Amino acid sequence: MASEAKKETTSLPEKELSEIKSNFIDSNTILVQRTLRAGQKIHFNGNVVILGDVNPGAEVVAAGNIIVMGNVRGVVHAGAEGNTQAMVMAFRLQPIQLRIASHITRPPDEEEMSGAYPEVAHIKDGVVTIEAFSASGER
Amino acid sequence: MGEVIVVTSGKGGVGKTTTTANLGVGLAALGHKVALIDADIGLRNLDVLLGLENRIVYDLTDVTGGRCRLKQALIKDKHCEGLHLLPASQTKDKTAVSPEEMKKLCQDVAQEFEYVIVDCPAGIEQGFRNAIAGADKAIVVTTPEVAAVRDADRIIGLLEAAELRNPKLVINRFRYKMVQQKDMMSIEDIIDILAVDLLGVVPEDEQVVVSTNKGESVVQDERSRSGQAFRNIVQRIKGEAVPLMNLNQNGMLSKLRRIIGLK
Repeated sequence: MASEAKKETTSLPEKELSEIKSNFIDSNTILVQRTLRAGQKIHFNGNVVILGDVNPGAEVVAAGNIIVMGNVRGVVHAGAEGNTQAMVMAFRLQPIQLRIASHITRPPDEEEMSGAYPEVAHIKDGVVTIEAFSASGER
Repeated sequence: MGEVIVVTSGKGGVGKTTTTANLGVGLAALGHKVALIDADIGLRNLDVLLGLENRIVYDLTDVTGGRCRLKQALIKDKHCEGLHLLPASQTKDKTAVSPEEMKKLCQDVAQEFEYVIVDCPAGIEQGFRNAIAGADKAIVVTTPEVAAVRDADRIIGLLEAAELRNPKLVINRFRYKMVQQKDMMSIEDIIDILAVDLLGVVPEDEQVVVSTNKGESVVQDERSRSGQAFRNIVQRIKGEAVPLMNLNQNGMLSKLRRIIGLK
């Protein structure tokens, strides 16, 4: 029984595992287990995963990807060291400003742009593009 | 040992001092021993709201500086049995007191009273740090405006950093009609951002200006809607579950009720 359970945890084929690892731009990742409120700031030389919201007035700057398991209403900057492959993903993406590498974007002034579903922002053909997140990982 | 509650907001003019005064009077009216501490040194207001300005001899900095005893500086309210005020100094500034001195002061006052409510100055500098130093609990006041909610969010973050967890929220100057027309943030919008427990919603009420100018409190006015909101908040501070009052005062039924004087 015990050996079976042990097997379960490493059941992923070695090839697939290395593929997943190579998909990460930087394997250096921190987990932030709270909401970032106005005036609070995270600078990190790697990926940032936030279990909570990024409120207006808060700021996340990461050399790698930014993943927010909540609402993004503040400023996020992925690929801050110049990595144009970096992306920002959130359950709801409504940032005041979104930056990837040297690209700076803000939502259009009139309309509410975000739907109530997870979205991914990344650079596509030299333009920051926001798309609905699909688990199949097509990019 | 009583409970020390700090009333704070970050932004100025949202109603910290009004809330402090009304909660103090409301709690004292129910027979509790309450002390209000005005921590806004240099810009004292709480004494004016309570109509006690002319009775001040000693102030907070005299107590922390050892120039008088605590009992000498505490002023008894003229309307309300059991309500006392420790006024701020008007001639000094925030640096006249340190957070350690405030902590000691709050502990001393809490020995004598059931509730100690500290009126915090606007801002996030030393005045704020002094005011929260001795607090066990925090009430954050905001109005349904983007700037006020933003500052409230900042304050909640700073309170959490100072180990004051789970602050309670009071939404002041709420206008139901404007929310209906989508011209003002709704309660849901505010809670969605701040993610804290709601202690109460106080409707906009011109009567507040009238009574504060006279040194009275709306909480004692049976017919005032904002007074009712403050009475509900007082009940919730005591740990009782009171439902939110109906904020729509423009329905036919409530109009009729007001005409015949039922509320």
